[in-house]
Amino acid sequence: MIEVENLSKVFVDVPVVDDLSFFVPEGQVLGFLGPNGAGKTTTMRMLTAFLPPTAGRVVVAGIDLDADPVGLRREVGYLPENVPLYPEMRVDEYLRFRADIEDVPRSEIRANTEYVVDRCMLGEVRRQVIGTLSKGFRQRVGLAGALIHRPPVLILDEPTVGLDPNQIIKIRELIIELGRDHTVILSTHILPEVEQVCERVLIIDRGRIVADGSPDDLRSRFVGNPAIRVELRGADNEAAEALSRLPGVIRVTPTGDGRFTLEHSGEEDPREPVFRLAVERGWVLTEMSSERASLEDIFVRLTTREEDREPSAEPEAVAAAEEV
Amino acid sequence: MRKILALIRRELIAYFSSPLAYMVLTAFLLLQGYIFYLIVSFLNDPRTQAMTPLRLFFGGTIFFWLFLLFVVPVITMRLIAEERRSGTIEPLLTAPITEGQVIAGKFLAALLFYVVLWLPTVVYVIILKRYTAIDLGPVASGYLGVFLLGFLFLGVGTSMSTLTRNQLIAAILAFAAMVLLFSVGLLDQLFLSSSFFKDALTYMNLWTQMDDFSRGIVDTRHVVYTLSGGLLFLYLAAVSLQVKKGR
Repeated sequence: MIEVENLSKVFVDVPVVDDLSFFVPEGQVLGFLGPNGAGKTTTMRMLTAFLPPTAGRVVVAGIDLDADPVGLRREVGYLPENVPLYPEMRVDEYLRFRADIEDVPRSEIRANTEYVVDRCMLGEVRRQVIGTLSKGFRQRVGLAGALIHRPPVLILDEPTVGLDPNQIIKIRELIIELGRDHTVILSTHILPEVEQVCERVLIIDRGRIVADGSPDDLRSRFVGNPAIRVELRGADNEAAEALSRLPGVIRVTPTGDGRFTLEHSGEEDPREPVFRLAVERGWVLTEMSSERASLEDIFVRLTTREEDREPSAEPEAVAAAEEV
Repeated sequence: MRKILALIRRELIAYFSSPLAYMVLTAFLLLQGYIFYLIVSFLNDPRTQAMTPLRLFFGGTIFFWLFLLFVVPVITMRLIAEERRSGTIEPLLTAPITEGQVIAGKFLAALLFYVVLWLPTVVYVIILKRYTAIDLGPVASGYLGVFLLGFLFLGVGTSMSTLTRNQLIAAILAFAAMVLLFSVGLLDQLFLSSSFFKDALTYMNLWTQMDDFSRGIVDTRHVVYTLSGGLLFLYLAAVSLQVKKGR
């Protein structure tokens, strides 16, 4: 649905987007991540034909950006960062205006308006002046405006910024729902949001892709061995030694006070043997939990700049970042 | 066309939902009322020679020019600058719409507002017509001149509004450009002998152009000058919007 090939954007000698290539199949919800200034917004602006690329090819829904930028805009619904709206207009005036400039056929304006009002839950504020609405409602008005022409592709730039937790949940539910019948690119800083909403994650840094895959995929690729954490009361000095002999365990790191972190291969679950060992030796097992690397860890690993990195940082993280 | 109409409608909503529009309208009517008073007292003066009194109305006084030079930037300053400042330029230009259509819609809305500004002054003509014989020919050509001058100046203002995201700067730029355009024509007085430059400057003299219109002379050169000048600035506006929309 969205093809991007060797896309670049240079602003006065500074490459903001640097040779980006990716493909988003129809119906996928793609999380677009990256630190501030990584080139997310610039990429999105190129995908929506707002900014012309310096080099590269963009094809959305079969329409080439170079050949027909205006036609491409018809296929895309775009919600820019901070949701710019006209504060002096009423909600239904704004939706009518959007329908007109988005080429919605006259006979479909009413039906499409009802559809977006219903989907974005705007029924109660239709006659209100946009400037008087709360931020949550304004976000939904922006989304309704982006949906009015029923585009197959939705591009949302940080749609939950500045909302309160309840509003975030509502917008997120709406995006998940929209993801069922739209191809969506969603940029955000909120990583749990990505895990909930997106099937696939694309992390960019300094205009280049540093990771691409499903959240689980990235976890296994970038975080190394799975681990469990145990706390054993009464464990003696040989405990670490005994634990490391259990099947599947690769490495045991004591973290003090009878706590240990066990890295394992992931093929065999070491939790049962740990329990049996504790019983056998008379230790009291007070805690045992799997450690699951969060997307946050991966994000930080991949996008921390070398110059920001503390000297003690692990070298393999750098290697992992360069590998991609 | 439908998109341009939608833009015009939106722009008019914006004009009439801000106090600025009403302030401009009120100030304009006060000024025109004053000029009308001058005309009437002029006519009542027995020493008055025979002339067309409405000449005063169409560019015959310095008030006309001062006000025009102030009011046009106020009308045009927000057109693009505000879209840029608030970021609404982004959803606007990611709709299937061209920069030319955006400029056309915005400009036509400004022109419409300008026409609305002048509309109440027709009442003065009607009043005068009741009490004295006035020739409607020069009145009609006077209004044509006002319209054409508005076309040129609003075009200048629209193009200046694309250059910045600050309305005040857009207004100042428009004012400066219009003063330049207005005064450059007056420079023809500096040349004594006829030369190419003098002719060129005379061609651009808006004061004498307006004077001709108010006397009932519709000179096609004036029509061509204002219309082509306005269109040139509108073209520049579309180009400038295309080039620097993201910044």
